[in-house]
Amino acid sequence: MTVSWLLAVGALAGITLLGVLWWRERAEATRLRRRLEDAAGNLEHLQRTFSRFVPEAVVEQVIAGGLPAGERKEVTALFADLAGFTPLAERIEPTLLVEILNDYFERMSRAITEHRGRVSTFLGDGILALFGAFEPNPWQGDDAVRAALAMREELADYNRELAEKGLPNLAFGVGLHRGVGVAGLVGSREKKEFAIVGRTVNVAARVQDLTRQHDADILVTEDLARTLDSHFSLRPLPAAELRGIAKPVAVYAVER
Amino acid sequence: MSAMEEIEWEECWRERGHDPELERHLRSSLGFVPPPALYFFDCPWIPRSFAEIGYLQGNFRHVGWELYEKLNLVVSQENSCRFCFAAYRFLLRVTGVPEDRIRRLEQDLLSADIDPSERAALDFARKLSRSNPLPSREDLQKLRDAGFGDEALKEIAFVAAHMVAVNQLATLAAVPPERWERLPDRWYVRLTGPLIRRRFLSRWRHPEADHLEPELRIGPFAYLVNAFDGLPIARSMRKVIDEAWSSPLLTRRAKALIFAVVAHGLGSARAEREAARLAANEGLEADALEEVLAHLASPALDAVESEAVTFARETIWYQPAPIQRRARQLSEKLERAQLSELVGISAFANMLCRLDAVVPDAT
Repeated sequence: MTVSWLLAVGALAGITLLGVLWWRERAEATRLRRRLEDAAGNLEHLQRTFSRFVPEAVVEQVIAGGLPAGERKEVTALFADLAGFTPLAERIEPTLLVEILNDYFERMSRAITEHRGRVSTFLGDGILALFGAFEPNPWQGDDAVRAALAMREELADYNRELAEKGLPNLAFGVGLHRGVGVAGLVGSREKKEFAIVGRTVNVAARVQDLTRQHDADILVTEDLARTLDSHFSLRPLPAAELRGIAKPVAVYAVER
Repeated sequence: MSAMEEIEWEECWRERGHDPELERHLRSSLGFVPPPALYFFDCPWIPRSFAEIGYLQGNFRHVGWELYEKLNLVVSQENSCRFCFAAYRFLLRVTGVPEDRIRRLEQDLLSADIDPSERAALDFARKLSRSNPLPSREDLQKLRDAGFGDEALKEIAFVAAHMVAVNQLATLAAVPPERWERLPDRWYVRLTGPLIRRRFLSRWRHPEADHLEPELRIGPFAYLVNAFDGLPIARSMRKVIDEAWSSPLLTRRAKALIFAVVAHGLGSARAEREAARLAANEGLEADALEEVLAHLASPALDAVESEAVTFARETIWYQPAPIQRRARQLSEKLERAQLSELVGISAFANMLCRLDAVVPDAT
């Protein structure tokens, strides 16, 4: 009788032990599965975030373990730079300076994205934006000039805000050019970025330099001007020599 | 929570319509009224298209139920349509696909543990749903290499392209997704899941080949519809296109312009030529069309057409919240039914122009 009881208690203890072990294994498996799901969720979130800076097809190729080949694309490059920002930077508090710069970038980026452009990079107080680089866009020229005009309005609005706070006004120069560039992931093994390589971006940056010379805030090259809607008001300016560009480039000031 | 639920989505800005006859028609065809259809009752060809092209109508000879649902899921994910994504996620769950498989599918299609032929179909559907470029011959060849014949390939393209249109309808109306997002976890859904599954699967049919009669081989986009001849979906396409074309809410010229702009933006050369032909038939000069395609504006356009062409362009590539705000703004400029038709025509233009990818161009 006692033996039977002992056997029964032993069997019960064995079953309980097995149950506990099974339960612990299951809990561990569930925990690991949740961690895996969280990691996959984070990866998905990262992929979506990444897609704002690099075309989706490129993101997918990178995830699949490959490096996408460069591709020739017709793009419109917009290069904006703050005029006289360096002396201003030396006069005001660093915290305030960063705040002003961030507010300015925020407003300019909004104007660019609302017109289907993508901010490619911020270079000091400069902005490089691309139109037609992520997805082919037959209306990229008009979009880019509309974005530049929207940036002008945003800047005027921001200057009113700065004046109310007793802060100096900002002024910018914007250069735009349309042409073919090579799109791809460029950089070192440690750091790569999606960029358009070639003359198009350089010309936009050099044309931006001409804004001070011509006393105009937005300049477009002839290559872009000839594709634009006739509703834009353009003022022709003398062709100018640009550093690193063989032939003089005809430019137009965008009035409205 | 799925990453899709983090996507910004505006409050629904349209009121649901009510039309007992249309609702009866949808219920008798589909067994239920698809929620996006409710917001377009003032433009009847749109809700009717759900019943006509719908998945429960025995339209597909080669695409099975599970592949159909997965195609719709990945296209909805690609288009960030929270409503459709939640709805198809729910349908996959109740039709027996385990939660972890669905999660793997939505989180990482490239490495998800799925059948290679299914992966090829899903990858193709994602490419087709993107705004530009459309899938290439190499992409089509990958599908053939995965074992899909020409008819199956066309059906896969059709399912994906149709979902692009449904995504646009649901997104532009900002159909509330929250209820559907929570539905799979409700106790009553878990309890009634097998019944829902039976109800859906009992309606799924693989039909016989179906050839168009000569009188159905003409009309707008005949080249496209006729390329699907032999598949039951061709008859449904013909019917929906004809109904949309004859609807009086927008002029035919405005509709042709919408098709032309979407085709131009997508790089669909053949659809653009067809839209140009339709626009010319409605009296639009070639120069005016050229100007519209170059700059989305022309003095030859009236006020509604001007709004229509700029809006059509915005439907080619969009983010949900900004396009929802844009559609809401347009509701102040256009009559409600006109806006419904504009949204519907733009959505179907995005669908038809994408199908160019599977129709060989002889020129």
